[in-house]
Amino acid sequence: MESDLSRVVDALPGLVWTALPDGHIDFLNRRWLEYTGLGMGDANGDGWRSAIHPEDLPEFLEQWRNMITAAEPPAVEARLRRHDGEYRRVLFRACPLVDASGQIVKWCGTGTAIDEQGHPQDPLPAHVRAFRSMADSIPALMALMNSAGEVESVNRHVLEYFGKPFEILKDWDVADTVHPDDLPTVLAAWRRAVQTGQPHESEHRNRRADGTYRWFHIRALPVRDPDGKVLRWYVLQTDIDDLKRAEKELQRSEAFLAEAQRLSSTGSFSWRFDTDEITFSDELYRIFGFEPNTIVTFEQIGTRVHPEDLPLLRDKIHRTRTTADDLDYEIRLRMPDNSVKYIQTLAHRSQDRNGRLEYIGAVQDVTPRRLSENALSKTRSELEHVSRVTSLGAFTASIAHEVSQPLAGIITNASTCLRMLAAEPPNVDGARETARRTIRDGNRASDVITRLRALFVKKDVTTELVNLNEVTREVIALSLNELQRSRVVLRSELADELPQVVGDRVQLQQVILNLFLNALEAMAGVEDRTRQLVITTKPGEDDHVHLIVQDTGVGFDPHGADRLFDAFYTTKSGGMGIGLSVSRSIVERHQGRLWVVPNNGPGATFSFSIPRAPKDVKDAHSRGATRTHAAANAPYVQTDP
Amino acid sequence: MAKRPLVSVVDDDESVRESLPDLLREFGFEARAFSSAEEFLASDCVAETKCLILDVAMPGMSGPDLQRELKLHRQDILIVFITAHRDATVGLHALDEGAVRCLFKPFTETALLKALGAALGVN
Repeated sequence: MESDLSRVVDALPGLVWTALPDGHIDFLNRRWLEYTGLGMGDANGDGWRSAIHPEDLPEFLEQWRNMITAAEPPAVEARLRRHDGEYRRVLFRACPLVDASGQIVKWCGTGTAIDEQGHPQDPLPAHVRAFRSMADSIPALMALMNSAGEVESVNRHVLEYFGKPFEILKDWDVADTVHPDDLPTVLAAWRRAVQTGQPHESEHRNRRADGTYRWFHIRALPVRDPDGKVLRWYVLQTDIDDLKRAEKELQRSEAFLAEAQRLSSTGSFSWRFDTDEITFSDELYRIFGFEPNTIVTFEQIGTRVHPEDLPLLRDKIHRTRTTADDLDYEIRLRMPDNSVKYIQTLAHRSQDRNGRLEYIGAVQDVTPRRLSENALSKTRSELEHVSRVTSLGAFTASIAHEVSQPLAGIITNASTCLRMLAAEPPNVDGARETARRTIRDGNRASDVITRLRALFVKKDVTTELVNLNEVTREVIALSLNELQRSRVVLRSELADELPQVVGDRVQLQQVILNLFLNALEAMAGVEDRTRQLVITTKPGEDDHVHLIVQDTGVGFDPHGADRLFDAFYTTKSGGMGIGLSVSRSIVERHQGRLWVVPNNGPGATFSFSIPRAPKDVKDAHSRGATRTHAAANAPYVQTDP
Repeated sequence: MAKRPLVSVVDDDESVRESLPDLLREFGFEARAFSSAEEFLASDCVAETKCLILDVAMPGMSGPDLQRELKLHRQDILIVFITAHRDATVGLHALDEGAVRCLFKPFTETALLKALGAALGVN
């Protein structure tokens, strides 16, 4: 404890001493000894007197005696010799230390340097002391500079960071603290700041005690007197090396991302649900042809989207607001120069840290791919058309050949028969034989027709329990690409708890698919309204299950409704006639009906109905599918008016 | 009474082979039927045949093949082609090679008579 106290006294920034009640000095602190350059042995007792200026000594001693006997005057002034021989004016004060009985046991005193006016000459000015006490508690490098830009003081962290004493650091321009590459700029900037008195801010690298350079952010603020004159500067240096590194990494990965986005023509976006706030990546601005960094709104996007695709986009946006579905769609943009871009959008819903919903997605410009696909698809469909026409040609030739053979026999036999009967006498036996052959050849021709009919529809029908909703969903899944490519908005209204039907799943799929394709084709040329396809399933009152496909296409001539189902009737180059004819055959094989009615508005509605499965068939399903041979000649069912 | 001229029928279709010879006999010809060109060539009727009613498309040797084969062996038989394929080029080509007529099945009695008349110079 004693030694602790004496360490404190030694460390005090003043001259401290104690004396016995008779004025005999028995302790001088280290600073006193250092200041005067006297050893403890020399200064003890009366030895200290040698440090008092000889001219001042007599008066000093007299006053000194008065002070320790009468405690008057409170302070004594004298010139004290410093270790370098120079005398400085010092004010000595003393206080008695009193024991329990009131007896003075010791005098304790201090010596303080004063100026000519008698003011204390503190080695640290007030603002420096204020700076020190404040700056050491701030976890940054801080320096106090005078108005000329010279270092007055630094905080503890500066000394620790640079690992150099203040005496060296104060000449920082030559102290090898700032990175040589940065130094000229730093010096110039600092000189300019000192000249203009303007706050200064910069970044440079500082050399740490271990030799590594770290980036710092420097801020220098002037302190002014009421007249605006700069009194001094506070300089704050913050270590931003980690930040800088992270920033660099971020810049690097952002650059990578931007490059990847540019290379793949893919932009990214986010869309906040609550505020409709949309952010675009640079590449997305480029894809949309928007000015970079402008605010993006749905209105603005709407002006860019191809008018024909707006309904599709609105439908998608509406759907994302009501469901949590991921987005995956393709639309076209019409650019200001009237060129068309095809863009594919993929997005999924997520929540940010605050639980707010947003969609985050990617948009790819797929124009080149789409254009080549379109060209390919056009070529393919032309090819299909050619091959269909070719196969139709071959088909008719084959029909002609198959039928002509027995017909030739029929006509020849009939001719022979007539001649035999006309002979004199008539050759009745020969005529009978030729007539018999005529009948046989007639049957042969009929067989040919039956075989041809069998070509249209598979004879074997797999019978199982079929849920038309499931079949419809499968067909929708199969047709999604086609629907999207055809820019058709699909709405499905599938009845809950739809009764099952008995039939061939694949064939029913073909029928629905065929109705879909038929609708798409009917809407292919429609530009003035939404291309909408509505598919509905519902149980009918007649113990039938109904499936309805409604389009907004070109419709049909009501008088030609029946002919739509003729095998070789078509109003389109695609030749859908056979498809509808086959579809009707399939439906009729399922004891159902297929018909078409014109819509009140544009387009047509194709419907079919199939009897619901009888209750006892349910077991058959669990036993697995059974195969039955359907009747060769399905009953013809009249088209609805 | 002069010997009736022999008309041979070569066709893979049975109803033609059955019906046509009877009609030819009614016309007053001698008639034989063969189911293939090969069967005809192997028979003893080649030299005797005055007129050949020949199907164009047959498995094995086709009608035109037989036509060329006969020409090669200088068998000068008049040929009436019959076919169920309404492809005009087949007929035209056959006529170029020296056939008398080409009839498309089913053909009428009159058309057949006309063709035979042209071939044999009879009514």
